[in-house]
Amino acid sequence: MQEGLLEGIKRGDTVLEARGITKRFPGVVANDHINFEIKAGEIHALLGENGAGKTTLMSILFGLWQPDEGEIYIGGKRVKFRSPEDAIELGIGMVHQNRKLVSAHTVIENIILGHPKAGKILNLKRAEDEVKELAERYGFAVDLRAKVWQLAEGEKQAAEILKTLYRGAKVLILDEPTSALTPSETDRLLASVKAMANDELAVVPFITHKLPVVLAISDRVTVLRRGQVVASLETKLATEKSLAREMVGRDVLFNIERTKVEKGKPILQVENLSAASDKGFLALSGASFSVCEGEIFGIAGISGNGQRELAEVLAGLRKAEGGRVMIEGKDITHASTLERWQMGVGYIPSDRVEVGSIGDFSLVENIMMNLYYDASFSRQGILDDAKIRKHTAEIIAEYDVATPSLDTTAKSLSGGNLQRLILARVLSRKPRLLIAHLPTQGLDVGATEFVQNKLMEAKKDKAAVLLISEDLDEVLSLSDWVAPIYEGKLMGILSGEAAKRENVGAMMAGLSLEGQEL
Amino acid sequence: MRSGGYTLKLEKRLRISGWEAALIPILAILFALALFSSVFILAGINPLMAYQQIFAYAFANPNGLPLTIYRFIFLLLCTCAFIIPFRAGLWNIGMTGQLYAGALGAFAIPLAFGAKESSVSHLAPEILIPLMLIAAAVGGGAMGAIAGFLKGKLDVNEIVVTMMLNSIGFWLVSFMIKEGGPLMSPGGEGQGFKLPPSLYAPQIVNVPFTILFALGIAALLYWMFAKSSIGYQIRAHGSSPAAARYAGISTVKIPLLVFIMGGAVAGLAGYHYFATVPGLYRISSDYGYFGDLAFYGIICGLISLGDALAAIPVALLFGGLSVGGRYIQGKLHMGFGVDYALLGVLMITLVAFQFFYRYKIVWVKTEEEKFDVRVHRQVP
Repeated sequence: MQEGLLEGIKRGDTVLEARGITKRFPGVVANDHINFEIKAGEIHALLGENGAGKTTLMSILFGLWQPDEGEIYIGGKRVKFRSPEDAIELGIGMVHQNRKLVSAHTVIENIILGHPKAGKILNLKRAEDEVKELAERYGFAVDLRAKVWQLAEGEKQAAEILKTLYRGAKVLILDEPTSALTPSETDRLLASVKAMANDELAVVPFITHKLPVVLAISDRVTVLRRGQVVASLETKLATEKSLAREMVGRDVLFNIERTKVEKGKPILQVENLSAASDKGFLALSGASFSVCEGEIFGIAGISGNGQRELAEVLAGLRKAEGGRVMIEGKDITHASTLERWQMGVGYIPSDRVEVGSIGDFSLVENIMMNLYYDASFSRQGILDDAKIRKHTAEIIAEYDVATPSLDTTAKSLSGGNLQRLILARVLSRKPRLLIAHLPTQGLDVGATEFVQNKLMEAKKDKAAVLLISEDLDEVLSLSDWVAPIYEGKLMGILSGEAAKRENVGAMMAGLSLEGQEL
Repeated sequence: MRSGGYTLKLEKRLRISGWEAALIPILAILFALALFSSVFILAGINPLMAYQQIFAYAFANPNGLPLTIYRFIFLLLCTCAFIIPFRAGLWNIGMTGQLYAGALGAFAIPLAFGAKESSVSHLAPEILIPLMLIAAAVGGGAMGAIAGFLKGKLDVNEIVVTMMLNSIGFWLVSFMIKEGGPLMSPGGEGQGFKLPPSLYAPQIVNVPFTILFALGIAALLYWMFAKSSIGYQIRAHGSSPAAARYAGISTVKIPLLVFIMGGAVAGLAGYHYFATVPGLYRISSDYGYFGDLAFYGIICGLISLGDALAAIPVALLFGGLSVGGRYIQGKLHMGFGVDYALLGVLMITLVAFQFFYRYKIVWVKTEEEKFDVRVHRQVP
C-alpha cells in the first residue's frame, strides 16, 4: 500500500510539494517554475485568471500531464505520476467541474464504481455504511440510494467528493467548486470543506473569480498569473482588492457604473410565451415582458428554471409552445434562426464550447459563423477571404483576444478568450437585440469585467439587452429591470432601483413580492 | 519498449508539417506491401517480382492501364460521393445503391427514345449523352435524397438507411435487367440491353470522357469546401451540428443537400462504368461486382481525410492495385481473392497509420523512470 507515504501525517506537516514545475505548450509557458506546497489540515486556495496555469498545475499534480521540468514530493518522497491512477493511489483526489457520474445509477453505485475493492471484498451494504459515516462526519446531505439524475447540483458534487474520499484521498483538489451552486449550497459546501480540513485532510479549491469565497474559507492563498506564482500568503493578510490586483496585474473595478441611457422604443416584446424542455414538459410558461433600446433587462435565477428555454426560443433554436415574440413590432415567433440574425438579433449562448464556437475551426472560421450569410462578405456564394480575414483581425484586436494567429483553432483558446471571440463576433454585427445567457459564467475577474463593460457599451449603442444570469450581483449591478425567474415563471418585474439582493433573492426562490409562497 | 537507457514513448503531436503529412501515407503503403509480401513468400513467389508485375501491368501495360483508368474514374467518383456527406459529419455507405440508380436512370433515356427496338441508330448522341448524364445524376441524387431527408427531418440514422437502400438498389437493377425487365437485353442472359454504337461514350485518347467529370468534380469539391459559403456551412455542420444550428445553418437542409449531391456523383459513377467502358456498354450481369467495388470509395475517402484532391492519387493507387492484383492472381496461379486481400491489407495499414497524424514516437531517456511510483512501492 502506498498510504505509507502519508501515514502519521499531522496537522501542519507538508503533504504534497511541487518544486519548480514547468510545463510548456507551443508558444506559451503554462507553468513557469512553480513552487506549491500543501499542508495537512489546510485549505489552500489557488487563484488565477483563466489561462494563468491553474488547470495545468492541478493536472500535473493529479498525473494527467507530465511536467517538462520540476519535481513532486509526497510526504517528503519524490514521486512521478504516470497517470491519475498513480496519483489516486498516493492519496490525491480531484473533483472536476464537469461531473463525471453515471446518471442512471444510484449515488452509492457511483461511489463504488471503479473502487479497487468493488466486486471482490467490497459489498454494497458495507460500503454504504462506510460512506454514510463519511457523509455524516463532514456534513454531506445526500441520499445514497437516490439516482444521480434526481439530484441537485450540490448533491452531485457531494457524491463526487464522497467518492474521492472513499478512494482514500488525503489531498482533495476541487476544481471551481462553487461555480454551479446556489448560495445556500455554497454555504453547505464550505462548511463541509472546513470539517474536512479539521480532520487533517488538505483541501485545495481552485477558484477563479469568487474572491469572497477564497477570503471566507481558505487558510492560505496562492495567486498565479501567466504561469508564475505572483503571491502566496496567509489569507488573513489579504483583501479582495489586493488579491484581484495580484491576479489581474492592475486595479479592478468591482462595480460597473450603471449608466442611464435615454429610453427608446421597444425592441423586444414577449407575450405569454411558453416553451417545452428537451424532456417535453413545460419549462417556461406565460412569460411577458418587453425590452426597449438602451435598456438591460436582467433575468435572475438559478439555472434550470427555464432560462435556457427562454433564450433558445428567442433565438429560434426551440419552438414556442404558445405566445408571441416580436422584434420592432414584427412577429418573429415562427422565424428561423437565420432570419432572426438578419433582423438584428444577437445571441451569446451559455455553452461557449459546444454551441457558441466550433473547436476545430480557426478563429477566422469561427467569426464566419455570423458572416457567411452576409452579402457584403461574399459574392454569389463565394466567400471573400481577404475581407473576412481583415474583419477578423480588426475585431480580434478590438476585443483583445489573445492568440498567436488567426489560424489558431478555437479549442486552444482559454474560456475568457473564447468568450471575447464570441462577443466580438456577435457585437460587431451591431445587434438591435442582444441575448446574453450566462455571459460571465466561469470567467475570471478580468474577463468578467470586460464582458460586463461590453454589455454596457451595447446598451449605450441603443441595443436592447436581455441578460440572463445566475450571478445576482451581476444582474443587480447591470440591469435597468430585473425579473426573477422560478420554475419557468417570471416572478415579477422590478426596476433596477427597487431590486435588492433580499427581495430578488426571495423571488428567485419562489416567493412572490409580498413574501408569500406561491 | 526499452533499450540501452532509452524508452520508446508516444507523444501527442501538436502540429504536423506538410512533408510529414505526405510521408505518412507513403510509409504506410510501403509497410503494407512489405506485410503482404508474406503471402507471396508463402506461395513460393518472389515478392519483388510479384510487385513489379502488379505495378507494371496496372500502370505500364497496354491492356492493364485502360482497366486501371476505368476503375480510377469509378473510384474517384465514388470517393467524392462519400466525401460530400462526410464533410457534413454524415456517412454515406450507399454509393452502391446510388450508382445502381444512376445506371438505371442513364439507360432509361435510350430506352425512352427507342434504342432497344432499332439497332439502326437515329439517335443524336450530342443530345442523348448529356441527357443520360443528367438522368444518372438525378437517379443517384434521388436515391441519396431518401437518406438525406430521413436524416434531416426525422433524424433517422443515415448509415442504416443507405445500407438498406443498397439492397433495394441491387434487386431493383435485377428486376429491371433480368427476365421480362424493361431494360433486359433482347437475348435475355440476365443482362441489360446494349447501347446502340452511336451512344458509345466519346473517348479522349482511349480514355472515357468521364475522366474530366471525375477530376473536375474533385477539384470543384476542393474549391467548394475552401471558398464557398455552402462549403463552409457543410463543414460547420460536420464539425458541430449544435454550433451550426446556432449559426443559422439548417440542420434539415444540409443533410438533404449533401446526400443529393453525393448521390448524384455516385449516379455518374454508375453511368461511367456501364455506359463508357469499351466492350461493356450495358448493365452487365455481374453488376454486383462493381457495386462492391464502390465501397472502396469509403476507404479512399477516409484515407484522404475528406480532401477531394488528396483522393485522386489514392483512388489511382486502389484502382491500379485492384487490376494488378487480379492479373497476377491468374498469371501466377494464386488462390482466389489475392486482389481483394491486397487492397484489404493496404486499407487497414493506411487507416492504422493515421494514428501518426496525431502521435509521434520519441525516444526518451529512461533515467527519469527511477522516480516512478512503482519503484517506490518496493521501498518499505
